[in-house]
Amino acid sequence: MISSRRSEWGLAFALAALIALLAIVSLMSGAASISPRQALAGLFDGQGAEGIIVRDIRLPRTLLAMMIGATFGLSGAALQGLLRNPLAEPALFGAPQAASVGASFMIAYGFAGATSFAVPLAGILGALISVGGLVAIAGRRASLTVTLLAGLAFASFAGAGTALILNLAPTPYAALEVAFWLLGSLEDRSIDHLLIAVPFLAASWVLLAIPARSYRALTLGEDAAASLGVDLNRTRLMVVIGTALGVGAAVAVAGSIGFIGLVAPHLVRRFVGSDPARVCFPAALMGAALLTAADIAVRLIPANPNATAIELKLGVVTALIGVPFFLAMIFRERRLLEGSPS
Amino acid sequence: MSVLQADAINVRLSGTLIVERASLTLNAGEFVALVGPNGAGKTTLVRALAGLIPAEGRIALDGSPLETLSPAARARRIAYLPQGNVFHWPLAVANVVGLGRYPHGDPFARTNDADRAAVARALAATATEGFAARPVTSLSGGERARVALARALATEASVLLADEPTVSLDPRHQLVVMGLLRDAARAGGAVLAVVHDLALAARFADRVAIMDRGRIVTDAPSHQALSVERLAAIFGIEAAMVDAGDGPVPLARRPL
Repeated sequence: MISSRRSEWGLAFALAALIALLAIVSLMSGAASISPRQALAGLFDGQGAEGIIVRDIRLPRTLLAMMIGATFGLSGAALQGLLRNPLAEPALFGAPQAASVGASFMIAYGFAGATSFAVPLAGILGALISVGGLVAIAGRRASLTVTLLAGLAFASFAGAGTALILNLAPTPYAALEVAFWLLGSLEDRSIDHLLIAVPFLAASWVLLAIPARSYRALTLGEDAAASLGVDLNRTRLMVVIGTALGVGAAVAVAGSIGFIGLVAPHLVRRFVGSDPARVCFPAALMGAALLTAADIAVRLIPANPNATAIELKLGVVTALIGVPFFLAMIFRERRLLEGSPS
Repeated sequence: MSVLQADAINVRLSGTLIVERASLTLNAGEFVALVGPNGAGKTTLVRALAGLIPAEGRIALDGSPLETLSPAARARRIAYLPQGNVFHWPLAVANVVGLGRYPHGDPFARTNDADRAAVARALAATATEGFAARPVTSLSGGERARVALARALATEASVLLADEPTVSLDPRHQLVVMGLLRDAARAGGAVLAVVHDLALAARFADRVAIMDRGRIVTDAPSHQALSVERLAAIFGIEAAMVDAGDGPVPLARRPL
């Protein structure tokens, strides 16, 4: 027990250092090349072209990557703790897809500017319906098969909803705007985007972190956890609302980004063990590091040699890495999946 | 001295009456076996006694109504061991047993000396110290059953409710687990276990309550409760009473 607690802190410090390093690289990376010294000077004094680029363009983007990554890492860990299986993740439950329906509806029909609170609110509503519906359907036994099938249904339905919005978009430009936004990106995000997302992201962290001890008790199943004094309804409600707030706000500013919630908890389990309470905090840090790294990668990999300003989309990169990872996990967990645990 | 007392309680699941006018008293220092055919309502009754599902009628814990207690206060006084010994994550055995201390902690409390001592006692009682550091999912069925029981014992509650704690265990572990439950009663606890093996119930329990179609039809000292006539009427079996050296115990011979 003592050694695992030490490794828990060791991992937290290592991840914090990695995030700090990635943040500096992120401030340096982009169309204009900036040295580490210039990046730090620009960050603190805001003088000159470097100062403007670092403070107004790259800082909001870096902070959003860190916070959204942390949100996905934490919500993956929380959903896995609540549903007691390592394959739970917001994207597999249709949460970002459903949030996209709400947010893209707002954007396509021009009901709200991209930096209005209406976009995250619509996204949160969509995510709330999918995660809430899923947890309700999963029920007391939380069978893996039922959970994943219900998630597939929600994701497909949300996909159809998004397709309908594209289909009925008022102008081709609106359709194109939504289509690109759906791919997920942090390009050209401003401090305003940061400000509309932060309150919801912070609220989601609180709601997802408070029941951490309950996730640990749930390792014994719902009845045993309830007999130990865990309030199951309150725990479910906090995870559902916490995930919806986090995913809805993240999708509203960054578009659809998946699989951080699957990958981050899995990676930290190797260091801190399987205790779902101890996985939460390092999973959030790992999520922040992963998404910041991915957002640096999209800037360094030129998407089109003739138009180097167009970046790869962040959601495309996380899915290209996340889906094979998911397949590998399914392969490893075949035994679990074949005999769905009660 | 009565610790947990249910007076003519009804329990409904999705509108269906599963437990009907069931009365049961658990006394300190006493081990009661709850037996009955499949579907008699044993698990539902135990869950209601544990406060996990609402019941119509009065359930009192040390004289005060069960529903007036906070979940944590209830959990400190009633330990519940569900069927199946489920462990979803490969936690170390010591950490699983530590979950028994959950109702004693507040959200910010670190493990204190009382918790550590209780966990050590539970590990020692169940002879599970030897694999305290191993992942619980790597253990055999018998070892897992002992760990699950250790988790319930670590709460050091005055009532222990166990739902089929011997199911799918080898004969030796069935005896070990029943012995541990009896020890918990001898140490002053009020213990109720759902048991399917009538011989085990007869040999280890002080009292046997028989449930049939939602009602408790018999509640008597073990040797009186499990008569050949009653087993024929309730279980539909022809039983023989066999003496294995510690009094006659029923042996099911054939279905009637």
